[in-house]
Amino acid sequence: MGAGLAAAVVPGCAAGGGGRSGALQVWGGVPAASGPGDVVKAFREKFPQYDVNYTRFVNDDRGNLKLDTALQGGVDIDVYFTYSQGAMALRAGSGLAADLTDRVSNDPDLKVFLDTEQPRSYIDNGKVKALATAREPFFVLFNEKLRQQAGVDLPHAWTIDEFRSTAKQLTTNKTVGAYTVPDIARIALGPNYWYDGNRSNFGDPHFEQGFRVGREMIAAGTAFPWTEVLARHLDAYQQNSFLTEEFHLWSTAPFNLRYLYDAKKYPHDFKVAFAPSPTVDGKDWNGGSYSNFIMINPESPKFEAAWAFVKFWLTEGATPMLKGGKLPALGGVTDDQVITGMLGKEPDKYFDMDSFRRVVLEADPKLATDTRLTGFPEITLAVKQQRDLCWLGEKDPGAAIREVRRLADAAIARNERRP
Amino acid sequence: MATATVAAAPAVRTEKAPGIKPRGWIGFLFIAPNLLGVIAFTLIPLISVVVLAFTDWNLVSGLGGITFNGIDNFVAIARDPGFWHAIGLTLVYVVVSVPLTVVGGLALGIALNRPLPGRAVLRAIFFLPYIVNVVAIGMTWLMLMNPRAGLVNQVLDAFGIQPGWFASSHWALPALIVMAIWGGVGYCSLIYLSALQDAPRQLYEAADIDGASVWAKFRVITWPSLLPTTIFLLVTLIIGASQGFGLIALITAGGPGDSTTTISYYMYQTGFQFYRFGYASAIGLVTFVGVLVLTLLTWRAQRGRALNE
Repeated sequence: MGAGLAAAVVPGCAAGGGGRSGALQVWGGVPAASGPGDVVKAFREKFPQYDVNYTRFVNDDRGNLKLDTALQGGVDIDVYFTYSQGAMALRAGSGLAADLTDRVSNDPDLKVFLDTEQPRSYIDNGKVKALATAREPFFVLFNEKLRQQAGVDLPHAWTIDEFRSTAKQLTTNKTVGAYTVPDIARIALGPNYWYDGNRSNFGDPHFEQGFRVGREMIAAGTAFPWTEVLARHLDAYQQNSFLTEEFHLWSTAPFNLRYLYDAKKYPHDFKVAFAPSPTVDGKDWNGGSYSNFIMINPESPKFEAAWAFVKFWLTEGATPMLKGGKLPALGGVTDDQVITGMLGKEPDKYFDMDSFRRVVLEADPKLATDTRLTGFPEITLAVKQQRDLCWLGEKDPGAAIREVRRLADAAIARNERRP
Repeated sequence: MATATVAAAPAVRTEKAPGIKPRGWIGFLFIAPNLLGVIAFTLIPLISVVVLAFTDWNLVSGLGGITFNGIDNFVAIARDPGFWHAIGLTLVYVVVSVPLTVVGGLALGIALNRPLPGRAVLRAIFFLPYIVNVVAIGMTWLMLMNPRAGLVNQVLDAFGIQPGWFASSHWALPALIVMAIWGGVGYCSLIYLSALQDAPRQLYEAADIDGASVWAKFRVITWPSLLPTTIFLLVTLIIGASQGFGLIALITAGGPGDSTTTISYYMYQTGFQFYRFGYASAIGLVTFVGVLVLTLLTWRAQRGRALNE
């Protein structure tokens, strides 16, 4: 068993060639040791007739290009994951995703994937092409030690203005209140918030509000200085600054919890408490989404095996993914499994469990998954570039958002012209 | 006698050894490994880029998704503010970094050509930046130029200036230029050193006898003898700078804003982030032609001016 399974989950073992093997070939962005290896193991125990190879690709531009060229080049891939919405639109729209509509429609366990209000699937021209395997709600983490020192109440529900004033209360001459402001426009507008008909939606005042509040908080010293964020490339390493108490309010998602219970790798002496994402003017979309979409290659000659694997992952097999902070999209896990899976062996030592239960286990936040994706990569870049200039203090929020609007409109128009 | 010898020579050359037939294709067998590599990794991609420049293609749609669109990409390039912005930044990057690198390399080369103690070690030290891994260079400069904690700003603080370097759209490009010069000066100095050692000594001796000044000797002897080397360095540095990508991708990702989106990075963004491979290929083709023209102009500018011509 050991040797066989080891071979099954060794990254890269399925790559190359182009010839078809007997084993089901699954490509994902999560390292096998962080959950997928155990999912594969459980699947093979339940379905011994199927062999599975899991290949990891790094979920960045180059890794995704590798997957795309492999899919196009006829490399033996049956099931694969897509993590970014931009890649989703391209792959689904370019015939790289099998139509799963009938399978989903005919299965009572999976009917929820047909929901279009809070979509858990990617539906392309009425056809289900991809299914979310994970639920990634956002929440706000508090450094519990400093919260108590500052005498700040742990919010059960709060607005973005209260978030801002709390960040101010937590700011001292040594520490910054918050890393950054949550995405105000997302909270107010929900899914597809970048689009309004055939144009972009950046004329909505919540976008400028988001840029302005972020800039004002940085200027006031209650949010992390953006010069530091860029100079130290902190966006990818926010956890380090939270753990070293450089800031105390952290709007984030479950995948970052893994840094907070590993005292050997990430030593710290404080507990972490949870608060829900703040609301904006009575609007309460969460910044998180359904994500980690699983897709089947339409060229796969092993569709039945592939579908068995996809369904297993969705309905009963995703528990091992908790260790990477991936809550199963369909639930199907007990609270104890979530706690031990996501919070390590000594959850009480590192987390305020009451707030965890309230915010993560018992809450049902509105998760917004984008399904309109025209010009998505171009708009993503425009938002990032102009936000950086605005938060560095080099550009007025109004001018920055107008530039985003101009670039986004151009991107939408250009992409809609394309065949 | 002489006539007979000359007449006999061709007969010897065409004479074949008994039993051996010359087969031209055998030569190709020997160079086949390299030839295949060149065809697969240079020739085919080169031709592909030229063909793709006239298409609309996103890679993911496969070869069947290629749509020929004539000169649309080139028309779009002419109207694309992002392209012209990137070209402008690239020109600034090239025009500032290349001459300063060459001048710095020349000065260093002349200095290292003198009988200094520890000269060999100094040469090795100045050449180091050229061979160090780009990631190590990037990480080091990132730390050195941190706006708050970096060594560079701690020194500059004494003069009352605190540039934001990579965290400022005004300073990010100058920071990259400083790094490019730092990385290239050692290489240039080494090339100049070898050229200086080939300089015609008899001319210097004659100049000494005539009582020429140091500047006069540099202007009339040293510089003309170094001109071919200078042109070689200019050409290679212009090509290298216009292709500059590694440090930008590593440190700034084209930002803040689009302040360091040079043409190479813009091409990368267009192709590998926006998946507009046809358009990215057209940008590549236009850039190639531009660099080729610039190179030819630089080459022609030195014709007849070198000392040895």
